[in-house]
Amino acid sequence: MSATRYLRPTHLEEALAALGTHPWTVLAGGTDFYPGRVGKPVDVDVLDVTRIADLRGIQVAGGAVRIGATTTWSELITARLPNVCAGLKAAAREVGGVQIQNAGTVAGNLCNASPAADGVPALLALGAEVELHSGSGARRVNLGEFVLGSRRTARRPDELVVAVHLTPWPEGAKGVFLKLGHRRYLVISVVMVAACVALDAAGRIARCAVAVGACSAVAQRLSGLEARVVGMRPDEAIAGITNADLTCLTPIDDVRGSAAYRRDAALTLVRQAIEQAATP
Amino acid sequence: MTTESISLTVNGQPRRMDIDPRTLLVQLIRDHLGLTGTHVGCDTAQCGACTVHVDGRAVKSCSILALQADGTEVTTIEGLATGDELHPMQQAFRDCHGLQCGYCTPGMVMSAIELLKHNPQPSEQQIREGLEGNICRCTGYQNIVKAVQQAAGA
Repeated sequence: MSATRYLRPTHLEEALAALGTHPWTVLAGGTDFYPGRVGKPVDVDVLDVTRIADLRGIQVAGGAVRIGATTTWSELITARLPNVCAGLKAAAREVGGVQIQNAGTVAGNLCNASPAADGVPALLALGAEVELHSGSGARRVNLGEFVLGSRRTARRPDELVVAVHLTPWPEGAKGVFLKLGHRRYLVISVVMVAACVALDAAGRIARCAVAVGACSAVAQRLSGLEARVVGMRPDEAIAGITNADLTCLTPIDDVRGSAAYRRDAALTLVRQAIEQAATP
Repeated sequence: MTTESISLTVNGQPRRMDIDPRTLLVQLIRDHLGLTGTHVGCDTAQCGACTVHVDGRAVKSCSILALQADGTEVTTIEGLATGDELHPMQQAFRDCHGLQCGYCTPGMVMSAIELLKHNPQPSEQQIREGLEGNICRCTGYQNIVKAVQQAAGA
């Protein structure tokens, strides 16, 4: 059992300098850190980023939102955000119970990269970008290109996620998040669907984003469907949604449900999510 | 073994010690400080028996490292009563018999206090939602909900 080192910097530069020279495991809320190691000793060196003030908090400016990496889900739930973020708030309330929402962070949910992460579909539908910093510079990556697979992300070992950015949606756009689990509370999802819809003055779909989680290693945007329904009335758009729109999903059979069940549930939830997001 | 020093306030008392960095907050509370009122049920951040308050917010002490609580104020179930006078939430659990085996009770009480702090007059549904992170395998939650309702009315 190797000795574990623990570092808790208060400035971003300190954290980046550390990451540039040593393989640290970045820790924030830690809600899946120890529970993911039951029966195994903690043998990694831990970089606790929760005391870096710059990484915490939410700023809203002209419809654009910057969510600091270590913002907790409880902080997100109580923040004033545009209506299109209602789905993200609904997803935040599904992240474990209150104790987990008090500790778990937005960027931690993304970096942990669980296929069943509640935060990912809602942030994907919002078109979130992940801001990464390292000793050699900064970059922004679309969330869809950041989460690469189960427990895999595009973050290099020397990089730290500092924020998640949401670009503005039209005024009046609405977001929803629907989660199917085996009971109401505290469950790992069978299927999750997040949708954001903006309508034009005639009540037709001007912009639509739909993401499905827990039906593939990484939550997927349904880009074909999103493009096809633009210009349609919501009712005709919903009537036209079929399994052909879900071909990018690759659900698995597991203890929570069969692949066929997940596919069927996803189709129903996609229709419901778009209907709710298109209802002012 | 490398150690790190930690200073925190537990139930109003300043504490300073040197610990293995891998020590969980619940291990510090139970094994180092001997405050065994905080229980470990599942060890995987599901059951909520280990719930304590860190700077006034309920967290599961089995899922955070003790060092993450450095510099904070921690309150455990032992820190609620004033002398022989129970905290209103403890009294309500006693009056309503909001327990059977009692294993989940410390965590339930800590979560229920957080719930009323943010929502002093919760509906029955809001109480059930607010306690979703705490699992009780005995009571069916009926008397737990009644206890929180009594404490909210007190």
